[in-house]
Amino acid sequence: MEENRKGKKKVPALPDLFTWGEDGVHLMSSHCGSCGTYFFPMYHEQHKPGCSRQGIEKVLLSKEGKLASYTTQYYMPPPPFKTDREITPYIVGLVEFPEGIQIAGIVVECKSDQLKIGMVMKTTTFTLYHDQEGEEMVTWAFQPAKVSESWNDPSGGRG
Amino acid sequence: MTGREVAIIGVGMHPWGKFSQKSFVDLGVDAIAKALADANIEWKKIETICSGIYIWGGNAGHLSGQYLASVFGETGIPIVNVYNACATGASALRLAYLSIVSGQIDVALAIGVDLSPEGFLTAKSDNPRQDRDVLRWRMVGMPNPIYWALECRKRMQKFGTTEVDLARVKVLLSQYGAKNPNARYKKVYTLEEVLTSKMVCDPLRLYEVCATSDGAAALILCTVDKARQYTSKPITIAASTIGSAIYGDPTLRISALSAPAKAEAPLLSESYSSSQQAYRLSGIGPEHIDVLELPDNSSWHYLQYLETCGFCPEGQAERMLQDGETRIGGRIAVCPSGGFSSFGEAIGAQAIWQVAEVVMQLRGQCGPRQVEKAKVGMAQTYGLMGNSGTTILKA
Repeated sequence: MEENRKGKKKVPALPDLFTWGEDGVHLMSSHCGSCGTYFFPMYHEQHKPGCSRQGIEKVLLSKEGKLASYTTQYYMPPPPFKTDREITPYIVGLVEFPEGIQIAGIVVECKSDQLKIGMVMKTTTFTLYHDQEGEEMVTWAFQPAKVSESWNDPSGGRG
Repeated sequence: MTGREVAIIGVGMHPWGKFSQKSFVDLGVDAIAKALADANIEWKKIETICSGIYIWGGNAGHLSGQYLASVFGETGIPIVNVYNACATGASALRLAYLSIVSGQIDVALAIGVDLSPEGFLTAKSDNPRQDRDVLRWRMVGMPNPIYWALECRKRMQKFGTTEVDLARVKVLLSQYGAKNPNARYKKVYTLEEVLTSKMVCDPLRLYEVCATSDGAAALILCTVDKARQYTSKPITIAASTIGSAIYGDPTLRISALSAPAKAEAPLLSESYSSSQQAYRLSGIGPEHIDVLELPDNSSWHYLQYLETCGFCPEGQAERMLQDGETRIGGRIAVCPSGGFSSFGEAIGAQAIWQVAEVVMQLRGQCGPRQVEKAKVGMAQTYGLMGNSGTTILKA
């Protein structure tokens, strides 16, 4: 996972948002022990009114959640969004994690007509671009947890 | 509401469109000059200026009120510039209103101007730690319409909203825009034209999301006692409120990448908050409103706002639209101006423009798009990051 076929590293395009290891990719959150709220990004606190804000701990969210909504974007957004290849149309999904938080992310490894609200999605990574050293700059992404044979790469293998 | 009663005595508008050869000062001066003429009042009588911050205008844009005042002649009055995203104009208006209610001054100017950058609006800083707007652009590539599409698809799943329902909003509003000289888009669309327009982010098509435009609008307010000196048709402000979001609102708000999964507050809680405050303060409820300008940033907004602001129960907006209840001549005329659909967004200016439209309706000045016997009107905004404004007006 940490090295691609050319032996170059995968690097998060921005830090402290997601991480990966032997058991897959996890979004990084923090949890307030007082009001019970999960935050994403973990450094953006959003407490319940009146909360003492005591006992905030960094946590990794579950790998899997349920698809709450999705859309296909047909136009390339302006900078600072940056990819080193054409990715439109691309899918953005909203995934509801068991911790009680919905998080948006790019959806990969499927077509939009194969998506259904409520289906199980797992967290993965998506390569946005390569930096000058050839390292893959990645973001978090989601894909259906049970991949059937008919699913194709939306980037046509260019990813 | 205790304090003095306030009326709007003058409205002025620079038409909406794209004016790349003009500056924000050009547009603002035009709107202010028209409002002064409409109120038949001299510049020197203005006792405060509450101006919307023009975020794309650098130092000048952040001090828009001072720049505009210098053109007409500086008089030493309090000038305050405010920014609350799409509720910027509503915030300027509320401040002008409260300045008079409090008794500090008698005559106020509220102004909003915007020249939008080309295409999608984008991030204004590069620090993801303090501005999560950077994250949504860099990590997910999420222009504003994606947020609307995600909520729209949830609505389709929950209430069975169809593509035809979404297209119907544009068809109706285009008929009004065609009759409004200040609108940017004046073409009347058929259902088929809307349904075959380009997909932007499904289920929302090109004609179902608003454009970004340039425009300016100004309002002159004064005490009800003095209003008759200037106009035979003062329009009274029954409420001018601002709302913010409520913890537990499940809406994925623009710029955010997360939202609570479990709803512990209403969808679009900031707009629920501002409209509820306005109903409480004015004693006027949705059932009394004859004309409503709501923020139709997309067809989804048109439907959702009817419910958020209490004009129909949850899941009934499509039926209301289909049955003609929201038409001019129906139970409540919704966006008889043509809405954002015909104007496009001009962030700092749009809330003031909505109020100006309602004022003209209540004065009976809207010609072919006039709502007959309109006595009570409401202007409702939407705003990025959980802020919103409501204005209720009485003839």
